[in-house]
Amino acid sequence: MKFVSLIAFSLISAASCAQIPDGFTPLFNGKNLKGWHVSRSTHQGTTPNFHIEDGAIVASQQPYGQGGLLMTDQIFRDFELYLEIKIDSFANGGIFLRSNEGGSAYQVELVLPGGTGDLVGERIPVSVPAEAKNREKVWKAGDWNSFRIRMTGEIPHITLWINGVEMWDVIQTKNDFIAGATEGMIALQCHWTAVYSPAASKGMPLSSWRPGATHRYRNIAIKKL
Amino acid sequence: MSTINKITIAFAQIMLIANQLNAQEKKTYVNSIGIEFIEIQPGSMVVGKFQPTTTKFGFIEQYMTKESGDMGIPVLPDSDYALSEELSKRDALPGFTVTISKSYYIGTFEVTQAQWKKVMGTNPSFFQEGKVSNADQHPIESVTWNDVQAFIKKLNKLEKGNASYRLPTEFEWEYAARAGATDDISWSEINASAQIAKLTTQPIGQKKPNAWGLYDMLGNVWEWVDDYYNEKIFADPVPPKKGKEHVLKGAPFYGDVKNATYMTHAGGPGSKYDVGFRLLMELK
Repeated sequence: MKFVSLIAFSLISAASCAQIPDGFTPLFNGKNLKGWHVSRSTHQGTTPNFHIEDGAIVASQQPYGQGGLLMTDQIFRDFELYLEIKIDSFANGGIFLRSNEGGSAYQVELVLPGGTGDLVGERIPVSVPAEAKNREKVWKAGDWNSFRIRMTGEIPHITLWINGVEMWDVIQTKNDFIAGATEGMIALQCHWTAVYSPAASKGMPLSSWRPGATHRYRNIAIKKL
Repeated sequence: MSTINKITIAFAQIMLIANQLNAQEKKTYVNSIGIEFIEIQPGSMVVGKFQPTTTKFGFIEQYMTKESGDMGIPVLPDSDYALSEELSKRDALPGFTVTISKSYYIGTFEVTQAQWKKVMGTNPSFFQEGKVSNADQHPIESVTWNDVQAFIKKLNKLEKGNASYRLPTEFEWEYAARAGATDDISWSEINASAQIAKLTTQPIGQKKPNAWGLYDMLGNVWEWVDDYYNEKIFADPVPPKKGKEHVLKGAPFYGDVKNATYMTHAGGPGSKYDVGFRLLMELK
């Protein structure tokens, strides 16, 4: 009995620490994809399966080997983004920041094993990349993890916190965006693995998105700065 | 005259004849604005044949040596590779045959900023002089499908009597882009012919043309075509009569080998600075 109540208590405390911080506006209503759209012009794929399960957005490939991007309809300049993420291993995704419609953006990587929490460029070179070296100290394996990303400035200044702990704080040496963009969409990535035909190439390693793998996102909210 | 010089002259003469022969085969036309077109002969092609690849290490396999081993690429359980084969078979599409029954002329290049300015007197492009050099020879971009219709309307007035212009249908575009190819284009051929992995648009005609002499069909800017987008991976045999957006073909300057293929069936709106077009012409 005591054991059961201990489990119940820890479940309640886990749920209570995972919540949208004060002053943030939800970007996702937990029920449908209102306010979001799929990119029709990214190389990741244009027909991904982003759907809702248990109040979370679930990302998976569709058809086999084709990924895609789910993007906010709104564009943002200076912001703090909060979201909770649960990812399968061997599935490469990411959070795209100030993305264009074609999915060129600064990206916080989501990949296990690998550089989850690293700052990289998608279709752009990033002047100051960053590594989340201390991620494993705070990471809850196989569970929900919260990400808080602050992005400001024409020359981007970006900070990442995972589960409330700062991972890195970097100021780029220049605006690396195509066309010097200072605003863009938030986008969630599901990586592609297969090309249309073996005549093109062998595609990506299968471990870039293991068949049937999913990424899940919930409590997505933003604070404009 | 040395023997080498004689051979050189003979070779040059042969090349001249060969070029003349090619020129006869390739019927071109330049309109009053200076837009060049190539005649495309009727024929057929298979569209939307989907044969998704299922390999363990993908393209990285070609870089693997005995010494390098698997280069740190994770190896999944055998059941995952078996599942990928199963899913690939489940989702494969046979495609469908499209017949092009009438010849038409298609732009040898994407419409440039200079050509747009000549017709419209404006330049909506983001990548103008100062942001890039030789901007006049860069493709026009930041044009909506409706902007292009206005351009075409004006051009049809200017060229009245000689020819009529419109956007190609997706199938007319893809047939010209394939230039006789029955399967997908290889990554090495994409790298040779497509302006991709760049940070700005590029002057037209810098990469290898396709087998029918058309430049930048893949890469540089997405190209509007006439059809509405069906929100599917590939076109349907009959394009939708209505839709929210129109189809984009060809991939942008920051594109990837993944989507810079004539098979890619994308949809608007794109990112403004990555969208342009090429024209189709019918001689009267």
